[in-house]
Amino acid sequence: MPCLAASAAGCASKKDERLPPVAPTLEITGASREFESQVLSVEPIMGDAVLLTVSAPPAVLSHLLPGQFFNIVTRFAGSWDPLLRRPYSVYRADRDASALTFLVRPFGRGSTWLAERLPGERIGMLGPLGNSFMIPDRAQRLLMIGGGVGVAPLVMLSDEAALGKLDVVFVMGAANESGLLAASELADRVEYVVATDDGSRGHRGLATEVVAEFVQWSDQIFACGPEPMYRTLRSVIEPLRINRRPKIQISVERGMACGLGACLGCVVETTHGMIASCVKGPVFDLDEVIL
Amino acid sequence: MRSSFERHAGRCSRKVGLMSAATTPDLSVDLAPDNPRELRLRNPVIAASGCFGYGEEYASVIDIDRLGAFVSKGVTPERRAGNPMPRIVESPAGMLNAIGLQNPGIRGFVKKYPPIWARWTVPAIVNISAESVSDYAMMAAILDEQPAIAAIEVNVSCPNIARGGYCFGWDPQMSAEVTRAVRSATTLPIIVKLSPGASDIAAVAVAVEEAGADAISLINTLVGMAIDVRRRKPLLANYTGGVSGPAIKPIAVRMVYQVAAAVRLPVIGMGGIMGLNDALEFFLAGATAIQIGTGIFVDPGLPIRLIDDLVRWLNEEGFSSLDQIVGIANDGFRSGESSALAAWESMGV
Repeated sequence: MPCLAASAAGCASKKDERLPPVAPTLEITGASREFESQVLSVEPIMGDAVLLTVSAPPAVLSHLLPGQFFNIVTRFAGSWDPLLRRPYSVYRADRDASALTFLVRPFGRGSTWLAERLPGERIGMLGPLGNSFMIPDRAQRLLMIGGGVGVAPLVMLSDEAALGKLDVVFVMGAANESGLLAASELADRVEYVVATDDGSRGHRGLATEVVAEFVQWSDQIFACGPEPMYRTLRSVIEPLRINRRPKIQISVERGMACGLGACLGCVVETTHGMIASCVKGPVFDLDEVIL
Repeated sequence: MRSSFERHAGRCSRKVGLMSAATTPDLSVDLAPDNPRELRLRNPVIAASGCFGYGEEYASVIDIDRLGAFVSKGVTPERRAGNPMPRIVESPAGMLNAIGLQNPGIRGFVKKYPPIWARWTVPAIVNISAESVSDYAMMAAILDEQPAIAAIEVNVSCPNIARGGYCFGWDPQMSAEVTRAVRSATTLPIIVKLSPGASDIAAVAVAVEEAGADAISLINTLVGMAIDVRRRKPLLANYTGGVSGPAIKPIAVRMVYQVAAAVRLPVIGMGGIMGLNDALEFFLAGATAIQIGTGIFVDPGLPIRLIDDLVRWLNEEGFSSLDQIVGIANDGFRSGESSALAAWESMGV
């Protein structure tokens, strides 16, 4: 079992004793849903970031897949600023405790507001949204590459892969040691390889530089991080692939408004045209994305 | 011009005493009273163009058949890929968008969406955009023959290529020309959606009324810009974008007030509606119906909640129908006098 899932469960049940149960504000009718969550815990992680654990209806959790995201209200009730919801992919889902965990780094106004929440406060949620990472049926060796807070959906994916007894190499890069995910956040069978810009831990340099040695070992690659990381990744991996194998699934980050494919504000340019990343993504085949 | 007292007394005479709390107030509205094809909605809450996709995007999130109606994304004569990214950026209590009318084009559109809409009871309104008068008419003619389309909303906030790209909606004559062309191509109810960029929006409203519009909707977004200080460049790839959300609501309410005084057509108000009080401002200013746009992005449940809130409020205030509150804050409501709000008043002096 992933260690944090156990601790989040313990934490959630402890908090549940003194907090009233949370009911969804809207009746759940479809695949995407709007509801109100209660903050269960806020723990510091990766330097200035936090792990925000919130309650979620069991029906939401039962649908949830790694790589999917929630569009989260990041303002007080009665305020219209900042107006738009913020998309966050799930870091960890604990179905037993009906809890969802998000990795939040205070960066802009919305993320700062979210990172400052306290247990017991309520947050408006819409989700799960988007497609998901897909582990191919015959895949046995998975390579995951995370940049900064981009590790979030890969943690949930690696949890699932570990449960399925798959072999996982999880590569993470950060500016320095304090920005790295602790090894204890990942399941025991996940091999964790790190790179730091200043060499304070692991390889000195970019995560993409240590990826090369695992490309031919793996039969599926997953990546999540900033867009420049994908360009570098493509140039590192391309010479090592045979017949465009292994395939690379990436999760793109886009500012968005609706999260439901209506506004078309979050499109990704692909070989198939402009695609809404909120419904046909956020996970894309790197070979199909025009960067 | 009649005094506001006389007009309101006339309208209120239909109501005798306070209604009982058990009665459900009548929310139904008729947005094309002079058109035989009619545009009767069970309630006045409409999902706005651009913010509701083609309906199906929200069908799994809300009970779409409870809406008064919805308006599709803007459809154009040919397929459009839209603008490069970034297309949206947040602004104080609002947002800017420059999607660039990404859509499958009128032919792709009619193949895909009317068959889906035919399965729903909610009236579907198609928003059309074009860069020439003849293209507007061509699209209206195609839509006229389609099933499951309740009305056409004509977006005149587009550049007129024949006039060097000057926006149709900024000019009364150009707006009227588009309206006449659409009117001659279809018997469907026509809603003309006005641009707040017009220097005299009431004059545009009067011109499209005379040209055969069945209703007027306003306001479209205001053209704005945000600059990335770090990159020393506009944030949007398109440089400019349409500002929407609560930030523009006072402008929208003022323009609805002006237009509702200038014309006798039903007016559909929109711009930053985020709750009951906002919606009531538009009705009191003279809107017969409202559209919710940006509010749906941040609060998908808002339109349905508004319907319920309206019923409750009308009950509490003792009104038996929504019709009784439309325009009662507007001194010149439907007087046909575009000067009902004098220029110096609108300038705030």
